[in-house]
Amino acid sequence: MTNIEKNNKKNIILSIKNASYRYSDAEEDDYALKDVSFDFESGKIYAIKGRSGTGKTTLLSLISGLERCTEGEIIFDGKSLKDMNLDKYRNSDIGIVFQSYNLLPFMTASENIILSMDVSGLKIKNKKEKAIELMEKVGLKETYKDRKVLRLSGGEQQRVAIARSLSYNPKMIIADEPTGNLDKQTENEILEIFKKLAHEENKCVIIVTHSQNVCDAVDVTYDLKKVKEEKDK
Amino acid sequence: MYILKNAWISIKRNKGRNILIGIIILIIASACTITLAIKNTATYLINSYKSAYDKEVTISFDRTNMMKGFDPSQAEGRENAKEKFDNIASYTVNDIESFANSKYIESYYYTYSIGLNGNNIEKAEIESNNMPNGFGRGKENNMSNTDFTLTGYSSKDAMSEFINGTYTMSEITDNAWDVAFDGNYAFINEELASYNNLNLNDKIILQSEDGNTYEFEIIGIFKENEEETEAPLSMFSNSANKIITNASAITNITSNNENIKGTLYPTFIIDSYDSVEKLQEEFYKKGLDENYILQTNEELALSGVSSIKNISSFATTFLTLTLIIGGTVLLVINMINIRERKYEIGVLRTIGVSKLKLTMQFVSELVIVSLVALILGAGIGAISSKGISNSLLENEINSSNERTEEIGKNFGGENMKGGMLDRGGERGEMHGKGMPIIEAYDSIDAVVDIKVLLELLGIGLSLVLISSIASMISIQRFSPLTILKERS
Repeated sequence: MTNIEKNNKKNIILSIKNASYRYSDAEEDDYALKDVSFDFESGKIYAIKGRSGTGKTTLLSLISGLERCTEGEIIFDGKSLKDMNLDKYRNSDIGIVFQSYNLLPFMTASENIILSMDVSGLKIKNKKEKAIELMEKVGLKETYKDRKVLRLSGGEQQRVAIARSLSYNPKMIIADEPTGNLDKQTENEILEIFKKLAHEENKCVIIVTHSQNVCDAVDVTYDLKKVKEEKDK
Repeated sequence: MYILKNAWISIKRNKGRNILIGIIILIIASACTITLAIKNTATYLINSYKSAYDKEVTISFDRTNMMKGFDPSQAEGRENAKEKFDNIASYTVNDIESFANSKYIESYYYTYSIGLNGNNIEKAEIESNNMPNGFGRGKENNMSNTDFTLTGYSSKDAMSEFINGTYTMSEITDNAWDVAFDGNYAFINEELASYNNLNLNDKIILQSEDGNTYEFEIIGIFKENEEETEAPLSMFSNSANKIITNASAITNITSNNENIKGTLYPTFIIDSYDSVEKLQEEFYKKGLDENYILQTNEELALSGVSSIKNISSFATTFLTLTLIIGGTVLLVINMINIRERKYEIGVLRTIGVSKLKLTMQFVSELVIVSLVALILGAGIGAISSKGISNSLLENEINSSNERTEEIGKNFGGENMKGGMLDRGGERGEMHGKGMPIIEAYDSIDAVVDIKVLLELLGIGLSLVLISSIASMISIQRFSPLTILKERS
């Protein structure tokens, strides 16, 4: 049985195999991330935690296809990212949520979501209706649809960012410190949304965080520090 | 599709910057339109001049070739040169007709000159050494020994002295031009007429050295306008003893009298100056002596447009400078634009917009703004350039009108109808040789035609693309994660 067949059997959507990353101008043994291997299954919510400098953001950029591994490989849904069009991967297969939301400030909440649908090539008749539906799903009222994102609170912007990441129904959501700028109550509300996405919609949700509250709420936690320390040993 | 939608949203969002870009492109477009219109007008003028002069080819001695090895200091050298000159085969009317039978030749005409003595008239002469006017353009045959030079023209086109104003008809019979090219009719110099007390419709008799006589009826009297004569002390002009008739009259005389040798001077109207070399080869194959070469009037045709060429050249320089300065300003604005919009680029790249599509969006924004500015600029430029072009044409229009009238007067007040010279009508055609008919532009689309608009569009879009290079390169180099990190 091949690794891919084994992964399929375990419902593994993403598999990181001995992934390392070194900046092009770094010295030979100076890795930002070295020899990391994790598996992620659909229907589960994961946390990747670690202190600053352990390579959390680097790992996130590799998983989200913003960078390519310098060694090892990442397999998504049976295909190596090396062989995939990463733009297409980002606008169809995965949704990314950032700590600082990364919404286009000159657009309204619904326009940000519709833009994402347009980029993914989603062909539905009423995109605005779908955007409102997604906003309601993440706890935003319809009245927010025509509001410029700069006029929304941090929690509301993050909900719009989540709605945007769901706009083309991806198999996996990757979130980088999604609650880092939010209060405790809003953090819990956002985590509830992620849990629902994983457990009710069978999506794989990966949250990069240093928050213990998040780690306590997820199904599996990978400690990047430990991995790194173990490798160092 | 979303690329255009995003581009439109960005244009609306950045009104100030896009208005600035629009104004710059509008200025460039107006300047380009005016410059291109000036160049268009200049090209029209140059072409008008070129077409005003028929593309003429004449046969001349290849003097450079003939003088090879000629040493004038030695008697032997001079003898050799004379012998060489005497041995050059001349050509006949039949040869000219054969030469003219070529795909490169549109039409032809010729002058045919012989020397005859007077029978019932006397040569206008006071000084014993004052010879009749030689032609100096072909190989002459001892005409200077006779009293008169009888020159036959094959058509009105061949009568270059009347066209260029050297001669002017002072008296002419009513039906002169109906009979001038068929039969023994003649135009004589008014000095000769006065000297011999001759009037219109009088008959003059000329005779060859062997005693044959030839009668001609006077149908016109002309005067020579040139003040200088070959013999400064002579009281008569160069053409005093020149009698003008038609070429067939001369052919009749020479074909019936082998002792009379004439000088033929053909002019061939060709389709293009580029054909001259091929035509010369063809002439040699048809028997033209290789000591002759073909010469064109191209230099003469373009001599009147040197100032126009300078204006055209200045316009090109102005256009180049405008494009360089305008292009640089646009490039800088684009670079600032990209720096300001790094975050937007980062977000779009993160959600999966490819570098190519992102580049297309930025270029589309500039193209949309540019197209609007180009259309407005072309309109402003077109309105302005009508006046500018017409002021450029003003002198040429006046000269053209004066020249047309003058040629009519030279031929005795005749309005040039019926002959090859009457080609009036459409712009660019002519009434007389050497000066085109030039009309003022009465509508904008005559100045700014489709060619100018296409050139403007090409220049504008090239400028936009070149000034977009900065954004294209930046988009290729930006790492979305780095941009977003910087923002955070």
